[in-house]
Amino acid sequence: MRMSLNWLSNFINLDGLSEEDIINKIIKAGFEVEEVLHLGQGTGIVVGEVLECIDHPNSDHLHITKVNIGDEVLDIVCGALNCRKGLKVIVAKVGAKLPGGEIKPSVLRGVPSNGMLCSLLELGISKDLLDESSASHIGIEELPDSFEVGETDILKKLGYEDTILDLSIYANRQDCLAMFSLAKEMGAILNREVTLPNYLGKSNVGKPSTLKVASATSNCPHYMAKVINKVSLKPSVDWMKKVLRSYGIKAINNLVDISNIVMLETGQPLHFFDLRSNPNRNITVVDDYCGEYVALDGNTYNITNGDLMITSDLKPIAIAGIMGGEGSKVLDDTTSIIIESAAFDYAQIRRTANRIGLMSEAASRFSKGLEPLAQEKAMDRAVDLLIKYADAEEIEETVTAGSNNYVPHTVEETLSHLNGLIGKEYQLEEVVDVLKRLDFAPEVEGEEIIAHIPSYRANDIKLREDIDEEIVRLTDFDDLKSTLPFLTTTIGKLSTRQSLRRDIRDLLMNQGLNEAVTYTLLSDKEKELTVLSLGESIALASPLSDARKNIRTSLFASMVNTLAYNVAHGNEDINLFELSSLYAKEKDKHEHLAIMLHGEFGSKSLKEKPMKADYYVMKGLIYGLLDKLGYAAERISLEGEENISFFHPYRTAKLLIAGEVFAVFGELHPSFVKEKKLGSAIYAEIDLDVLTSQKPSSIKSKEINKYPAVTRDISLLINKDTTAHDIIKCIKKAGKSLVSNVKVFDVFEGKDIANDKRSLSLTITYLAKDRTLTTEEVNKTHDEVLKDLADKYQAFLRN
Amino acid sequence: MIDIKKLKEEALKEIADIKDLPTLEEKRLFYLSRKGEIQKLMLAMKEIPREDKPSYGQKVNELKNLISEELAKKQEVLTSFAMNEKLKSEKIDLTLDSYTPALGSLHPLTLITEQLEDAFVGLGYSIAEGPEVELDLYNFERANIPYDHPARDMQDTFYIDPTTLLRTHTTAIQMRVLEASADKMPIKLLCPGKVYRRDDDDATHSHQFMQAEGLVVGEGITLADLKGTLEFMIGTLFKEGTPLRFRPSYFPFTEPSFEVDMGCHVCGGKGCNVCKGTGWIEILGSGMVHPHVLEMAGIDSKKYTGFAFGVGLERIAMLKYGISDIRDLYTNDIRFLKDFKRF
Repeated sequence: MRMSLNWLSNFINLDGLSEEDIINKIIKAGFEVEEVLHLGQGTGIVVGEVLECIDHPNSDHLHITKVNIGDEVLDIVCGALNCRKGLKVIVAKVGAKLPGGEIKPSVLRGVPSNGMLCSLLELGISKDLLDESSASHIGIEELPDSFEVGETDILKKLGYEDTILDLSIYANRQDCLAMFSLAKEMGAILNREVTLPNYLGKSNVGKPSTLKVASATSNCPHYMAKVINKVSLKPSVDWMKKVLRSYGIKAINNLVDISNIVMLETGQPLHFFDLRSNPNRNITVVDDYCGEYVALDGNTYNITNGDLMITSDLKPIAIAGIMGGEGSKVLDDTTSIIIESAAFDYAQIRRTANRIGLMSEAASRFSKGLEPLAQEKAMDRAVDLLIKYADAEEIEETVTAGSNNYVPHTVEETLSHLNGLIGKEYQLEEVVDVLKRLDFAPEVEGEEIIAHIPSYRANDIKLREDIDEEIVRLTDFDDLKSTLPFLTTTIGKLSTRQSLRRDIRDLLMNQGLNEAVTYTLLSDKEKELTVLSLGESIALASPLSDARKNIRTSLFASMVNTLAYNVAHGNEDINLFELSSLYAKEKDKHEHLAIMLHGEFGSKSLKEKPMKADYYVMKGLIYGLLDKLGYAAERISLEGEENISFFHPYRTAKLLIAGEVFAVFGELHPSFVKEKKLGSAIYAEIDLDVLTSQKPSSIKSKEINKYPAVTRDISLLINKDTTAHDIIKCIKKAGKSLVSNVKVFDVFEGKDIANDKRSLSLTITYLAKDRTLTTEEVNKTHDEVLKDLADKYQAFLRN
Repeated sequence: MIDIKKLKEEALKEIADIKDLPTLEEKRLFYLSRKGEIQKLMLAMKEIPREDKPSYGQKVNELKNLISEELAKKQEVLTSFAMNEKLKSEKIDLTLDSYTPALGSLHPLTLITEQLEDAFVGLGYSIAEGPEVELDLYNFERANIPYDHPARDMQDTFYIDPTTLLRTHTTAIQMRVLEASADKMPIKLLCPGKVYRRDDDDATHSHQFMQAEGLVVGEGITLADLKGTLEFMIGTLFKEGTPLRFRPSYFPFTEPSFEVDMGCHVCGGKGCNVCKGTGWIEILGSGMVHPHVLEMAGIDSKKYTGFAFGVGLERIAMLKYGISDIRDLYTNDIRFLKDFKRF
C-alpha cells in the first residue's frame, strides 16, 4: 500500500517530523517499509529563461543557449527538440544532484556547457505519471508563465514533490488499505491528532428513488445503490490528479477519478454505472449466472455457478466486485449514473477472480475483506465529492438490500494479564494512552480496561491478546528483559531414530562420503526410476511445473540426477549419500538411506593404488554400517538380485533381515550408466524402517580365550558357481565348535585353472574354549573339513 | 726396547687422525689386541730390572687406559657422525602429500539442524517430527488459518487433494504435538523439517526448503522468555551476544507476533552490503501462541501461555557460510559439499 506523505499531511500535522523519524516509527509499529519513493527529486534546480537559442555548428540536433537564472546568465548546450528562445525552463546548475547523477561543467562538440535544461523525466518522475500535456514527453519541460526566473520550489509548485512510502500490509490489517483508516493508524503511531474531511452522512439526501435493488445470494449481504440524475463529466481538479498520481493511477475524468479516490480513502471499491444502461432501473445480485461475459477491459470471461454477477432485467451488467461491463460503463457523454457500494463475500470474490484470472484492484480489495461500515462511508464520500466536483444534482435516496450487520464491540484486558504475557511492568497510564491514540475510547473499571473497538478494526481486534499487541506495537519495548522459561524440568534427548541417523551420518562421513540433500518432487519419468520403491507415488493436484509433480517413493532418481550433474561438471570420485523420508499412497512414511559410489573410494596414498569403488566396496561399507548399528552379518542374509533393469544382473544383491528385504545394492547396468552418462556407478538403497523393525543387538562382552589358536591355510579348487559363503558355511559345520574363524585371503581364476573352476584360499582358525588343542585333534578335525568340502562341493586342495 | 713415550705420542696422533670406524677398529687391534703394541710392552716386562718393574708396569697401564679412552672418545665421535650421515641420506621432501584421509562431509542443512537440536536438547526440549505429506487440518486449520482465510495467500500450497498437502511450514508438527500433549504440560519442542511452497526457484526462493520451529507452552510463559530463548539460539548459530530487534508483525497462529532481526554478524552492526547498510538482518518470525491455537488443541488458554518461533535453515546457512544462491544447497556439487566438514 502506497502512502503519500503529502496526502497524509492533509489529515495530520507532520511539522517537526523528518522523513526518517516517520519511517522509523512506522517500522517500529509493525509495518514494513518496502520502498521509499520520491516522486520528483533534484537539488540545485532553478527556473530559467532562454534568452538565446542557436543551432550548434557541429551538430544536427544540439542547441547553444544563453539562459537567465536571475543572478547570472549561463551558457548551456541543450539537445531537446523543443528548446527555443523565450521558454521558461528548469535549469540544473553545475553541482546539481539529479537521480541520474551530478551535473558537471562539460564541453559538447567544442562548446562549453555549464548546466542542463531538464525534462521532468530527468528529475525522477516516471513517464506514466506525467500529465498528457507535459512537454517532457518530447523534450524539456516547458514551465507556465506563472513561474518566476530564479524560483527554486519548482517540483512542489508543479505537484511533483512528494515522498511515497510503499508499506507492506499484513493480512490482519486490511484497514490500512483505506487511507482514512491508515491516517488514524499514523496518528496513533506518530502520536498526533487526525482530522478527516467532514463527509459522514453526506449521502443522506435526495428524493424518493426510482431504483429497485435486490440480492439473491447470501454472498452479497449488503448492496447500496444511488441514482444521480445529473452529473457533468470533466477533467478532475488538481488535488485529485495529484493524489492519483502518487498512487500510480492515471487520471481519466472526474467521475472515474472520484470512484478511485473514494476507493483509496475508504477501501471500498465503488462502481458507477451509466444510468442509460439500466432503463428499467432495477439491480439484482445473483450467483447462478452461467455463460460468457464481456467486461469493460474488452475481454470475454467464462462465468459459472457461484460467481457473483450484477444483473438488470436478469441481464448481467457487471462481474460483481471484479469488473464492470462494457455495456454499462461511464462514457464521455454520460450525464446520469448509478453508484454501487456493496459488500461481497471475500472468499467468493477471490475464487472467481483467481479462476477467471482477473485480480483487479477491486477484486484484490474485496478478497482481503472490508471493514463493516465501508459501504456507508464510501457512499457518503462519493456523494460529497460528486456534489463538489461533478455538479451532482437531482439526487435520489440511497436504496439498500440487506445490511452491514455491524454491532460495535468491546474488548476487556487487565494490567496483570498484559504484564504476565509480555513479562514487563506496564503502567495503567501508558496503556490508556495507547488506546486513546488508537481511538479505542478506553474506560477503566476496577481491574478492567475496556476498549471500544472502532468499526475499521472490528475484524482484527477481538481478544485481549490483540489489545496486548497494540500496546507492544505502540510503546517502546527495547528494554524488554531476556529470560528463559521457568518451568518444571523436562527431559531433552534425541529419539532412537534421531540417534540412529547421527550414527549413520557419522560413519559415512568418516568413510569419506559427502551428504546430499535433493528435491522431493520428481517428473513423471523420474518417478519411475525407483529401487526398493515404497509404493505408488503421490501426485500433486496443482504442480508448478512438469519437472516437479510427483512425490518420490525412492531416492534412486535423485541420486542418479545428482551423480549425472557431478559427472557432467568434471567432478571425480563422487561418493554421496542421502537420508530422507519417503511417502507413497496408502503407506506410512519410510526413511531410506541411499549411497552412490563413483570412481575412487576412501583415503588416498602416493604409495598404494587407490581403491576403485565396486560391488565389494559397497558391500563392505553396508556390512560395516550394519555392524555399527547393531545388526551383525550373521543376522543378515544376502541373495542375488537379477531382476532390476537398472542393475547389473549378476553384480547386484538384496539383503534380508528376518525374511524381509531391506536393502538392494550393486553395480548399475552398463546400458543404464551409458544412457545416463554416469561412467560407472555402485548404488545402494536401504529401508531403515524395515531394518529397525528388528531390534539392534545389545553389546555383550565375551571372555578373551586364553588358549592358543592353531591356523591352517588352504587353497581350494572349487566350482565357479560355488560361493565363498557356501564354502565357509561348510567348513564351520564340519569343524563344529573348534572352528573359530574362516577368512578368505585370495581368490583367483584364469591361468592354469579350468574355465568352470576358481581357486579360493582361506585361513581356518581352530580354537577350543577350555583347553589347548593337540596337533592330533586339529589334524583330525581338519581332515573332516576337507572331506566334507570334497563330498559336498567337489572342492579339492590345489597342489 | 720400545720407547713408551714415543709410542704414546704416535698413538695419540694416529687416533686423532682416524676418519672412520674400520680404521678405528684396525687401530684398536694394533694397540690393544693380544698381539698389539700394549701387549708387547707387557711382554717386555720380564726384561725390566726387578726394582723398575712396578713403575714400568704402571706406565704401560696408564698408556693402555689412555689409548682405550681416546679410542672410545673417537668411536663416539665417529658413530654420531655416521648416524648423522645416515640421517642426512634419509632426508625427505616434507612438503609432499602422500596420504589424504577421506574426510567426507555433512550437508550444511544437516550441520545447522544438528547444532540446533543439540542446543535445545540441552535446554530440555524434545526434537519433534511429523509427516511432510500433511493434512490441511494440521497445516492450516489448527494453526488458526481456516479455509479462505486471507493469510493462506501468504503461503502458496502444493495440494494433493482438498484435505492433503505438502506441509508449508513445520508449524504443522507443532499442531500435532500440541494436540497429543494437551494433558502433558509443559511442552518444549524443536521441530526441524522439510517444507514446500508453490514458488518458482531462483537465487533466493526454493519450492523446497527447511525450517526449524520452536514451541514452549506452560504456565507463566512470557514474551521476555521468548526473547531470552531467541538470543540463546542466535548466539548458538552465530556469535554469543548477538543483539536482536523485535518488530511487530502478523502470523495467524501467534498474537502478538514479531519479526526478529539480528545484529549483522558480518559488520557487527556498522552497516555493510550483507545487511544492506542497516546493521540488521531479518532472521526469523515469532510470537506468543494464539489462544485459539491452544484452545483448538484442547489446552486451557486461561491457564497456559506459550511462545513459538520459526527460522529458515537455508537462510541461516546462506548467512553463516556466505552462500549467495539457495539452489547451491540442492545442486549437491561435491566441490560445494566438501567444504562442510564441521559446523
